[in-house]
Amino acid sequence: MSAVSELKLDGVTKRFGGIIAVSDVSIALPVGAVNGLIGPNGAGKSTLINLVSGFWRPDAGRITFGDRDLTRLEPSAIARLGISRTFQQAAPLTGLSVIENVMVGLHTRYRAGLGSVLLRSPTMRREARRNAEAARALLEQFGLTADADSEASDLPFGKLRFLEFARAAAMEPRVLLLDEPAAGLNRVETDRLAVLIRNLRNQGITVLLVDHDVPFVFGLCDRVVVMNFGSVIAAGKPDDVYGDPAVREAYLGGKEQEAAA
Amino acid sequence: MTGRRVEMAALVLVSVAVVAAPLFGSRLIVYYFTITALYASVVIALNLLLGLAGQVSFAQTTFMAIGGYGTALMTVRLGLDPWLSILLAMLLAALAAFVIGRPLLRLRGHYLSMATFALALGTYSFVTAAMALTNGGIGISGIPPLEIADISFAEPRMFYILSWIFCALVLAGYILLAESHIGRAWRALATGQDIAATLGIDVPGFKLMAFVLAAVVASVSGSLYVEFTSFVGPDLYDINIILSLFFMLFIGGRGSTIGPIIGAGIVVIVPQLMSGLERYQNLIFFIILLLLLLIRPAGLFGRMRESVPLAALLPGWLRVSREGRSA
Repeated sequence: MSAVSELKLDGVTKRFGGIIAVSDVSIALPVGAVNGLIGPNGAGKSTLINLVSGFWRPDAGRITFGDRDLTRLEPSAIARLGISRTFQQAAPLTGLSVIENVMVGLHTRYRAGLGSVLLRSPTMRREARRNAEAARALLEQFGLTADADSEASDLPFGKLRFLEFARAAAMEPRVLLLDEPAAGLNRVETDRLAVLIRNLRNQGITVLLVDHDVPFVFGLCDRVVVMNFGSVIAAGKPDDVYGDPAVREAYLGGKEQEAAA
Repeated sequence: MTGRRVEMAALVLVSVAVVAAPLFGSRLIVYYFTITALYASVVIALNLLLGLAGQVSFAQTTFMAIGGYGTALMTVRLGLDPWLSILLAMLLAALAAFVIGRPLLRLRGHYLSMATFALALGTYSFVTAAMALTNGGIGISGIPPLEIADISFAEPRMFYILSWIFCALVLAGYILLAESHIGRAWRALATGQDIAATLGIDVPGFKLMAFVLAAVVASVSGSLYVEFTSFVGPDLYDINIILSLFFMLFIGGRGSTIGPIIGAGIVVIVPQLMSGLERYQNLIFFIILLLLLLIRPAGLFGRMRESVPLAALLPGWLRVSREGRSA
């Protein structure tokens, strides 16, 4: 990778009516690291992902990726710059088979236009073959080979999650935003997920991981950002953040009290 | 896979029927098969738009009217070559679809259907009312026939061949697109616009591509139709036709390959078989439609997944339940 691009948020604010969902957030995600983003419900974590991926526009502040300003871009344009995301609810493309889902993830690798598709040009056919192979390789990597031709919506929940990762990975993203990827997964699946995420990081992909599962986040992440009421209250190495009194007060403490109650 | 085999079998049967009709059939059969081919082409294009890309547009008759009136006006009033008129009308339809589609397709939900429905009704009103341009309800007749060298398409059997070649080309285009990454992008945005966008698909752009393609096919079909009958009038684009295109698609099966042709054939030909029934003709036809759609909501060649057992149509107390009575 020649140009190292860093995803940066600078004074980003988002209001919904009178509620400030994200308030003056400035963070930079180091390249090729797994960044955890945690916080209580309503802290603004998912809002942040929706802002970065272009579903919502910030009311103030700027989001940049390298020298590109993402603030006003459409979601599809942001995706084409190499920023991919998953959704909180595993979101298969229903009516498409498992392998087709992954092939849609490869969409940005297709160059053939309307004309070459209608004329079945040799380049178009070569490209289609190459991408079908790439899709099969991804299915293999994510343990979905046996399900290639099943209807995506027929998959059990755990596999659906992995299908979503396979689809996101198919884009060869430079930044991957994962919105509660471990939600609903069992222990074994969560461990497998952690391995996959580490593999992605080792390929130089920057990961932003939003999750509630505190041990999962702290065990996996190189860096953790903690949000509460729309603001960043701590950021740094997992150990430092874990010991931060403000964090214990706002989030971890709250959890413990909840658990005790 | 079995669904695919059934479609292939149907395709073979249709091909045989299409080849046999002009050889053994009457003039009337050739006539209705030609009409079927022309509507089937429009419905295949609608299938691309609705069955693949999930966009409910009623505007197909508007683009048919651009083709029909475009060809009529350019040939009769301006004396242009019919082939050239088809080409120019097609370009006009593409431009109109682009201009209309761009703002409409950015919206979600039912805006597109509502707006295009208004457009389709408006088209009918316009061609009825714009006497000076269109002759209103009288229409424009005496449209000169298509010719290539010595071949005149005024001869019904020649036009029959032309119409089915056109239909086959449209079907081939549909299949090629459906199986490509473009078709997958359409199906992806039809089921989840947000997901499609996060995968880098330019959602408004792909919708627009489908809309313009559907318009181009509708326009050429509209031109061919008036070339076939040498007449254009508002009735070709009235509410019956607007809705019939949807009946054709839904009977045949959205997202299926052969469905639109079968659907068009049923809607065009079945009422002719009941011509002895006179005033009950429409009633019986609509009962058949209703039953078909109730038994197979996905259409004859749609996905089985959505089909309903015939028994479900009966009221509960009439049903013989294998599992016995349950609360």
